[in-house]
Amino acid sequence: MAQNRFPKPDFESGYKYPEIHHAIPNEELLVAIDIFLLVALMGIVSWAVIKKRTRGPILWVSVISVAYFGFFRKGCVCSIGSVQNVALALTDNTYALPLSVLLFFILPVLFAFLFGRVFCAGVCPFGALQELVNIKNYKLPKALTTVLGMMPWFYLIFALLYAVTRSSFIICRFDPFIGIFRLGGDIGMITCGVILLIMAMFTGRPFCRFFCPYGALLSIFSSVSIWKIKLTDKPCINCELCHNACPVDAIRPPYANKAKESRLRGVKRLLNYFVLLPLLILCGAFLMRSVSSELSRANKEVRLYDMVMQHEANPGDVLSLELEAFYGQGDSIEGLTQRYEKVQADFKLYTTIAGALMGLVVAITLIGLSVKRTRKQYEIDHAACVGCARCFSYCPQYKIGNESGNIAL
Amino acid sequence: MEQKKENKNSPIARRKFLRVLGTAVAGGSILAVSGVLASRLKNEKEASYYWQIDPQKCTHCGRCETDCVLQVSAVKCFHANKVCGYCDLCGGYFRSNAKELNTAAENLMCPTGAIQRKFVEDPYFEYTIDESLCNGCGKCVKGCSSFGNGSLYLQIKRDLCTDCNECKIARVCPSDAITRVSMDTAYKLKD
Repeated sequence: MAQNRFPKPDFESGYKYPEIHHAIPNEELLVAIDIFLLVALMGIVSWAVIKKRTRGPILWVSVISVAYFGFFRKGCVCSIGSVQNVALALTDNTYALPLSVLLFFILPVLFAFLFGRVFCAGVCPFGALQELVNIKNYKLPKALTTVLGMMPWFYLIFALLYAVTRSSFIICRFDPFIGIFRLGGDIGMITCGVILLIMAMFTGRPFCRFFCPYGALLSIFSSVSIWKIKLTDKPCINCELCHNACPVDAIRPPYANKAKESRLRGVKRLLNYFVLLPLLILCGAFLMRSVSSELSRANKEVRLYDMVMQHEANPGDVLSLELEAFYGQGDSIEGLTQRYEKVQADFKLYTTIAGALMGLVVAITLIGLSVKRTRKQYEIDHAACVGCARCFSYCPQYKIGNESGNIAL
Repeated sequence: MEQKKENKNSPIARRKFLRVLGTAVAGGSILAVSGVLASRLKNEKEASYYWQIDPQKCTHCGRCETDCVLQVSAVKCFHANKVCGYCDLCGGYFRSNAKELNTAAENLMCPTGAIQRKFVEDPYFEYTIDESLCNGCGKCVKGCSSFGNGSLYLQIKRDLCTDCNECKIARVCPSDAITRVSMDTAYKLKD
């Protein structure tokens, strides 16, 4: 790098160097506001859903969240993406995790553990945006929702795989709504976002249900949460209204043995699935491991290594910008090869784990489909419930109890 | 055996037990993960928040202009006056094939006319960057580091950058010049 070809001028006219100040916004203040709002809004939603059982405050929270976290803060930092930072921090101790990112990750998880998915209800700007545009709830067939319901898990697994190998943050890269919040960006992703929003008008929260990797994570904690959403204290009269109102199919109907299957056959099938479980895990692990070198192309070092190798094979070609920088900075091929081998080894290990987890997801979904339930009435599935509070106003039992004191049917 | 029988007779108790177990496991895992992560926060001074360009590594390839998620890149040209030679024939201001040394657009390096030139005293000229015009293309930086003192360099403007979790320019930067820096050194200045 050429520097100081010309000496410092000796000014005779008393010239003074101009003072240049570069703006540094007070990020600490903004981060503090972010965290405060996150906790406050989740608190309001928890109160509205668990205690008050009303939808009004949730809509207000949604509006605030879309305005502040969405349009004002432009969608970064967000809890969904923080999964990747946290995964990287857990596996790589050279990575410095900012405190704000840790809080954005752990606070919604903590609230999910205490009160269910109150973060999804309206604090997450993505969920809030879909909630606000929703006008009609067409139910999707169960086969479709089951298959699509596995996607968030796959997405999560892939995001973690690419995060821990320091390849790419795919959740941030393929974020459908960020372009809308920023009023500009990658046209392909904005199109996806608009399509998702149009779908969200007619069916509940397609992104939350079929893509959101963080929602998948929260669903684990909300299914064992300490305080749970309760539709009504009075006995259910099986009127089905709450089920029809639910945008995310989180209210499960009473179990009806439609197939008229004998118990023995059901148990046998379940046993088969349990035998299949380790097989699926092994299969997944093996399949993913076999494509690990293809998947590793997403890593910059691997791409550079390939380019350098290609160039070494035919040195006559024009240098690309990457190669110019590589040779210009006098990086050694040995050093690059070492880094390349490290990345490849990481990918071998993590793709195997990722494949095993994917097999596990498929197996658990299959088992979940075959387990016989003993539901006698409509029940909330706390893993799927996003706490939108629509159902409360539909429940006749809850209404009666609320309006005229103590009439019981 | 006895316990098995009892469990079989009371699925409610079993389910309750499983739920309590699940809650305990989930709560424990939250504590464990936050504990591990909190230990990683120890060196908070070094914790990195902002994306910034290392001018020593930058190859002024021009991708900063085209790859930022913003319509006009958050990368701007900075000028280190204390490094500058105040030359009349400035490699960052004039194109290398300029026919005449005047402000006609065909002679100037900057495509947006963001570099302003002011006469100080013979033979020195002061150059300043109008950041509202700069698009971060780095053409002047290339000229200055090839023919001059390297006083022009690219930096990410903190007030413009949206602090993406994954900087889109960093992903395509050929020399890995863009990394995260800590809060108290938001810029990597040359002077």
